[in-house]
Amino acid sequence: MVAAGLLALAFSLAVTVLAFCGLIGFDNARLDTRLLSDGYFHSVVWFSIKQAGLSALLALILAWPVARALYYSPGLWLRQSFLSLCVLSFVMPTLILITGLVALLGRQGLISPWLGPDWNLYGLPGILIAHVYLNLPFAVRVQLLQLQHIPDSSWKLAAQLKLGAWQRLRLIEWPALRAGMLPLFGFVFVLCFNSFAVVLALGGGPRATTLEVAIYQSLKYDFNIPEALTLAWTQLLIAGSLFLLLNRLGGSQWLGVDSTRQHWKPRPGAAMQRLHRLVYASTALALLLPLLALVPGILQVDLARFDWRAIAGPALTSLLIAAIAGTGALLLAYAMLLPLRFARTEGRTTLALLFDWLSTQALVAPAMVVSVGLYILLLPQLDLDYWGMLFVVLLNMLLIVPYAVQQLRPRLLQFDRQYERLVRSLKLGLRARLRVEWPYMRRACITSFALMLLLAMGDVAIFSIFGTSNWTTLPWLIYGYAGTYRMGEASVASLLLLLICALMVWLFQHFEKGQQDA
Amino acid sequence: MKTIIGLCSALALGISQASQAADLRVYTYDSFVSEWGPGPQLEQAFEARCGCDLEYVAVEDGVSILNRLRIEGTNNKADVILGIDDGLMVDTRATGLIEPHGLDIGPLRQELAWQDDSFVPFDFGYFAFIYDSSKISQPVRSLRALIDSNASVIYQDPRTSTPGQGLMMWVKSVYGDEAPAAWQALASHTVTVTKGWWEAYSLFLAGDADYVLSYNSSPAYHLVAENKTQYRAALFSEGHVAQVELAAITRTSQNKALGREFLQFLVSPEAQAIIPVTNWMLPVIDNVELPPVFGELISPRRIGFSAEEAGASRQQWLREWRSSAAQ
Repeated sequence: MVAAGLLALAFSLAVTVLAFCGLIGFDNARLDTRLLSDGYFHSVVWFSIKQAGLSALLALILAWPVARALYYSPGLWLRQSFLSLCVLSFVMPTLILITGLVALLGRQGLISPWLGPDWNLYGLPGILIAHVYLNLPFAVRVQLLQLQHIPDSSWKLAAQLKLGAWQRLRLIEWPALRAGMLPLFGFVFVLCFNSFAVVLALGGGPRATTLEVAIYQSLKYDFNIPEALTLAWTQLLIAGSLFLLLNRLGGSQWLGVDSTRQHWKPRPGAAMQRLHRLVYASTALALLLPLLALVPGILQVDLARFDWRAIAGPALTSLLIAAIAGTGALLLAYAMLLPLRFARTEGRTTLALLFDWLSTQALVAPAMVVSVGLYILLLPQLDLDYWGMLFVVLLNMLLIVPYAVQQLRPRLLQFDRQYERLVRSLKLGLRARLRVEWPYMRRACITSFALMLLLAMGDVAIFSIFGTSNWTTLPWLIYGYAGTYRMGEASVASLLLLLICALMVWLFQHFEKGQQDA
Repeated sequence: MKTIIGLCSALALGISQASQAADLRVYTYDSFVSEWGPGPQLEQAFEARCGCDLEYVAVEDGVSILNRLRIEGTNNKADVILGIDDGLMVDTRATGLIEPHGLDIGPLRQELAWQDDSFVPFDFGYFAFIYDSSKISQPVRSLRALIDSNASVIYQDPRTSTPGQGLMMWVKSVYGDEAPAAWQALASHTVTVTKGWWEAYSLFLAGDADYVLSYNSSPAYHLVAENKTQYRAALFSEGHVAQVELAAITRTSQNKALGREFLQFLVSPEAQAIIPVTNWMLPVIDNVELPPVFGELISPRRIGFSAEEAGASRQQWLREWRSSAAQ
């Protein structure tokens, strides 16, 4: 079992290492150390850190009241749909998000007149708004999950001790959230740190430049591999070490006994309930508005003349790629977590931390560098016009694995805490073990599979390098439209992509619920 | 399950079809071969003419064609490359993979002043600022006027896009050593600088700027495809910088005669009538029959630098832009 996990880890690591080898091996590229003393380089690094730090902080802080509202008021109207919307926002293609935000908050935006004459979306505000939009919903879901793991007994004890609202917050809620907070911050930080198109479009000018832009420029426009390598190592070092540090600090997970169905938790007072409803409604509105703002633009397109057949093929291709990559990613993530769980139950913290880092390294390594590195390595060896789609699937799979790890890890570790000793003492075989684990993991697996599908559905970065024109994907088609004046068609296709994603989230939630009732 | 099997076999089939060696392999960029791009029509017309099989190998964009050549070196599969622009010409030649075509390609439009033994232009356009004439009745008449104005502007990043590099050369050729001050002045009324063309153009269409950097041929699209007349290109008195898209034969090609025939075809009246209304750029020869709007496009004076000059100073200009526009 653990061996399979080690193999999975080695496989994922090998791809990253090979990619770097591809870059280093090309023309015997060396590091460009002059860059490290360049003022431009410093400002780029500093800006990347600043915007990512602020984005992550804002997303986490703003998510907190929303997660509380969802936790304390399970009867909120359309609560399930709201949670689906959260998944959707997290995977929102940048094209849709940028258009939506501009339609709302741009110079001619629907809301802009109320924001005063000095309002300007472009610059740090735009970057932060977009990043919070993308990551707050994710943070809400994670925090809600953590709150839901507060055992009934804690609340009963709190009631017996007559703890006040503040004491409950400090003694019960916060410890439940704290352990997850730092890794969550790290995760969102890395996502924003690697952000690119959003930062450039809404950043307002070269002041807003992230490392990813610099890597893109050096790799693509200058084909300056030494510079790209130097930038990539810098990114790996900063994002990687921060991720490691935060995981270590938040390492000792506070995990209660499993309580999928809660019977007892304090009922907030009437005023608090009103506040919760207000927080809930305004968040839902904020998430929906950028989508609704797209509608007027779409109504301008002549839908009768729209070539729906042109979209069907790419939509199917996208679904197929997503299904394969998503399944693979889930299996890989499950396998990769085996060594980590083993190290944890054996109490070997440092080893656990190493496995933890290895399982999420694909998140930290710059995607552009990995795909280009691999491309350089493979192109002379292999007919990529023939095999390209295989690598589209493979790389998509590897790049989304960290998200699956993130989703499955807490649940699996919790399982081990509760049942590992029992499982061991019963000397359960592999199949029996999985049979015990499955009911416990089912929900997490279904939810993360839906997320994997959506993430893989949205890819353009990998397709732009390995894709072949016979197998256009839906997001690629959207960029194709947008790149040739067809902004209207691009919005229609984007909305269709979004609808497919929404449908998938809905289906999975339906399926999950059906399973539960059965 | 059946559908998945069906799709998989379709996938396998599609791949095996693509792998059959064609008579002429052309490396180009994606939007060129898209359904609404010039690729399919050109392929049909050329295949009817030569009785051969033409195959496109499409990569993301012009720069990616060059990068692919650099990576593959002499192992490349291209007979012809199509779609790098004049800004990349020097670097492409430097790979040593380009063969002089030895053709007499006939008279091209005079403003191109084209003289090169290897690269053949197939379309071109002038960089221009587009505005909405229903909102702006008195457009600016020069680059200096635009930069000194307080009109809101969106343009593309010269580090990541070719129009951005075009503007960089434009400012440099108008302002020379005073370019840093010009960039600073422009930055004070720049809405944003985007990664690529479409982000800038869609922000402009959403009404977020008075002017957007694009091509002088952009209004033709709006008129022909959408029947919208309000989008116009502003004519600047200093002249405009052009972008010329090029094709060439590779040294490693096994089928150079057919490659030459294809280059000759690209500048023929037949191909030149297809390209402008699908790639939305200008034809490289005179007297091509096109929708009337092409006659109404602004026809600026051409200024700028030779490919060699631009290639030599590009890095320095980029640094200049980076440090002055960031203030």
